[in-house]
Amino acid sequence: MDKDPSWESLLARANAGDSAAFARFLTEITPSLRALIRARGTALPAHQHEDILQEVLLAIHLKRGSWRQGSPVRPWLYAVARYKIVDAFRRRNAAIHLPIDDYADSLEQDMPDTPLAARDADRLLDQIDTRSAALVRAIALDGDSAEEAGGRLGLSAGATRVALHRALKRLSQLAERMNR
Amino acid sequence: MTNSPPTEAFIRDLASRPAPAPLRPALVALAVAGAILAGLALFFALFGLRPDPGAMARPVVAAKALLPLALAGLALPLALLSVRPGARLPLWPLLVPVALAAGLFAARLIDLPPQRLLPDLMGQTALACLISVVTLSLLPLAAGLALLRRGAPTRPVLSGALTGLAASAGTAAGYALHCTEDSPLFYVSWYGLALCLASALGAWLGHRHLRW
Repeated sequence: MDKDPSWESLLARANAGDSAAFARFLTEITPSLRALIRARGTALPAHQHEDILQEVLLAIHLKRGSWRQGSPVRPWLYAVARYKIVDAFRRRNAAIHLPIDDYADSLEQDMPDTPLAARDADRLLDQIDTRSAALVRAIALDGDSAEEAGGRLGLSAGATRVALHRALKRLSQLAERMNR
Repeated sequence: MTNSPPTEAFIRDLASRPAPAPLRPALVALAVAGAILAGLALFFALFGLRPDPGAMARPVVAAKALLPLALAGLALPLALLSVRPGARLPLWPLLVPVALAAGLFAARLIDLPPQRLLPDLMGQTALACLISVVTLSLLPLAAGLALLRRGAPTRPVLSGALTGLAASAGTAAGYALHCTEDSPLFYVSWYGLALCLASALGAWLGHRHLRW
């Protein structure tokens, strides 16, 4: 193997089925992606940057067939990253993160229960497959870590994140349909 | 710079997955063209070709088929290109057939005595033309969009519109072999409107279904 293969040759080998080349490609592009996200994301806390990074990496995996072999990787890579980063920030902007301690005094002491929200969540979760629903319940509602929740279902941490990502996307589609 | 442990694990996991199905532009083009031809074959079987095919030899009449054919030939490769992130997308060639059509329209307009204007523009079959072209475009548009979902359109609205334009322009080129309205006032207006409707539909569908 040559010492310093270009991103082009790494991605070409990856698309031909070489998973080691793909792992190396993803590892090598990660610092650039992280810099892109940091440049864009001053309004979001750093731990969300890592989530967005993983969304971008997942998109690069899912859409790697859209890179034409023989053309430069960078324009393709940055176009994919820009699309996903803009998308990720747009979705998160609905809930801009502010540290709650700053507002503790002005907030109501006891928030009323929200039975409707819980019922809606249950109704949505009934509409996806049971494994995904269990993951969402464990991670998003009960606050378990991806490792714990996935371990119970026999999934690796990475596979759990992918499954959770898919399940949340499906849920947001269902929610959108419900609100229409 | 090293990656945080969860991201490293995530990368290992992604790399262990099989590569997704590659984008096959030739397959998309074949599907769209095949759907156009299948629809037209059915249409010709039901409604027939024009009774005087010899009239198509006149340049003004031939343009009725050739201009949409050129538009389809330009729009389809652009639609395929538009689902490759970072690819340059030269849209200006689309203006060439549009400008030629506008030229034919204007030349006819200048030529015509005012009392013939409205009959020329409205023709006899405007509604049939609109309905036929838009309806026959639906299948190739749907086929094209379904296959383009494998790509990564960073401008989904534009990708959808280009697919709608390719589907409807290809359909209109075939429909021209059936239609006996040979005035540019008629065909530039009504074919043009049909193409605009199908492109707008494609844009809307692209916005809804091509995002990823």
